[in-house]
Amino acid sequence: MSKEIILHIEGLRTEFQTERGVVQAVNDVSFDLHQGETLGIVGESGCGKSVTNFSILKLVQYPPGRITDGQVLYNEKNLLECSDEEIRTIRGKHIAMIFQDPLTSLNPVIKVWVQIAEALRLHQGMSKKEAKAKAIELLKLIGIPDAEQRADNYPHQFSGGMRQRVMIAMALSCNPDVLIADEPTTALDVTIQAQILEIIKNLSHGRKTSVIMITHDLGVVAEMCDAVCVMYAGRIVERASVDELFYDPKHPYSIGLLNSIPRINQDSDERLHSISGAPPDLIDLPHGCPFRPRCTQAMDICAQKSPPEFSIGGNELRTVACWLHEKEHSHG
Amino acid sequence: MEKPRILKNGIAVTGLVIILFYIIMIIVSVFWLPFDSSAMDVKHVLESPSFKTGHLFGTDEFGRDVLSRIMKGSSVSLIISISATAFGALIGILMGIWAGFLGGRWDNFIMRIADIMFSFPSLLLAIFIMAVLGENTYNVIIAVGIVYIPQFARISRGAIISLKSNEFVRAARSNGAGDSYILFRHLLPNSMPPIIVQISLSLSVAILLESSLSFLGLGIQPPEPSWGNMLSGARKVMMIAPWTAIYPGLAIVTLVLGFNLLGDGLRDVLDPRLRNVR
Repeated sequence: MSKEIILHIEGLRTEFQTERGVVQAVNDVSFDLHQGETLGIVGESGCGKSVTNFSILKLVQYPPGRITDGQVLYNEKNLLECSDEEIRTIRGKHIAMIFQDPLTSLNPVIKVWVQIAEALRLHQGMSKKEAKAKAIELLKLIGIPDAEQRADNYPHQFSGGMRQRVMIAMALSCNPDVLIADEPTTALDVTIQAQILEIIKNLSHGRKTSVIMITHDLGVVAEMCDAVCVMYAGRIVERASVDELFYDPKHPYSIGLLNSIPRINQDSDERLHSISGAPPDLIDLPHGCPFRPRCTQAMDICAQKSPPEFSIGGNELRTVACWLHEKEHSHG
Repeated sequence: MEKPRILKNGIAVTGLVIILFYIIMIIVSVFWLPFDSSAMDVKHVLESPSFKTGHLFGTDEFGRDVLSRIMKGSSVSLIISISATAFGALIGILMGIWAGFLGGRWDNFIMRIADIMFSFPSLLLAIFIMAVLGENTYNVIIAVGIVYIPQFARISRGAIISLKSNEFVRAARSNGAGDSYILFRHLLPNSMPPIIVQISLSLSVAILLESSLSFLGLGIQPPEPSWGNMLSGARKVMMIAPWTAIYPGLAIVTLVLGFNLLGDGLRDVLDPRLRNVR
């Protein structure tokens, strides 16, 4: 791929101080987001997907959270070193977020249009009238009927799906370069999910917005993404294009994930496949590869050393962090 | 859109009517009183209420007209209660919301001060402040206001703390909002219902506090009439001339009731989550 890199994340580490000890929520995560690309980040709950993305915008709450290392380069600027004021000019304007739960992510006592126009007023100093007109326009764009009247509603007068659309409108109001969607469809039912994904897809393609799509739903990945990073215990264990991941997964965890998807033609008395064991305790990670205790193909070396990311066939966009694939790694 | 909703609420309207009645009374009292409120009349001491003499609420132990004194005293009571509440609420809310929002040491510092102030019974604290500041109307405002600061600080801090972990705060941050924007645009409006209830309660309690202070001789000084010092004067003659105590007492009760009703109604009206219920 020769596309321009818009967001470069390298060696990101985020920790949380808890009473029991330090939680390594994000452990040396690096990835690039290319112009116009939709990148999926998949993994189970608590694997650090959301924290990674909160870290990009320095939205990790301190205390207890702290970004200890790494850099996030956007337009050659390291966002992690920005002052509060500098990063505020980036948030919402250049990099925007859609949150997981539309029910709690909107302020219940503020009218819908005011919330959509928030970023516009903060960044572009629009007058009230202009901002309202723009907000109504955005409401129409995301398919809210009677946008003029609905703009004056409060969030509780909207359904879950409509609120998530409002969140999308908020995020896209300033035409950001990067849109981070943190499980945008988890709180919605399946039919609404499809609509929401469609809206995100259309709007981001139309505006050449790059999207980071955080999800635990592989169906969403297949539908939306160009490339995927699979995360496990705060690390990226495999990165691949969507086709590569679905047709040729390399990491035992990715294989397990894909096998866990129920098939429509599966025998009804057959048990669903699952990865045995539970995700590791992030305070006390097992020595070596964090996936080892659950891995069916664990070897001696897995207990001793944590595997680095091996690139497969010399393609740096196709890597897997597993000792099984050490030999496929070539330095060509 | 705002007005019809509050007018639909019977409780709020009742409270509003009572308060309006007193406001009209104050305006009238500026231009006209049935009798001079401080003119003594030895020939008509402790006269019972009657139309014939024109003393509708009777006269007190100096022959002063009780109605005129209640009217004159209403402005004192209302002005003190409103300004003391405003004073206490402004400082208390500002302290409380920053304490709640910033947390940590600042929070600890402010709330410990509030705890210390809380540990005094409010009337005792007010008496103490009056004794330090000296007796005059402005000091009553300050004394009652200071009593209110910890109450408002605690209520607004609690509201902000429970609100600040909401996802919409993070959403606002991701939009590029700063601390004070989030605090004043997102969190404060959400914490209004408990604060408004507290304001209405405080308005009524301020009237009681002011009356108590005046009753004890620490508030408004005679001959300037206030409901509290009228009761204080009536104490000695209450058995033979009950009207000297009943009417100022009734004035206090109804105005306090008015503020309480208004506050209750306002809470229902202002909370959008309770809108369209029913």
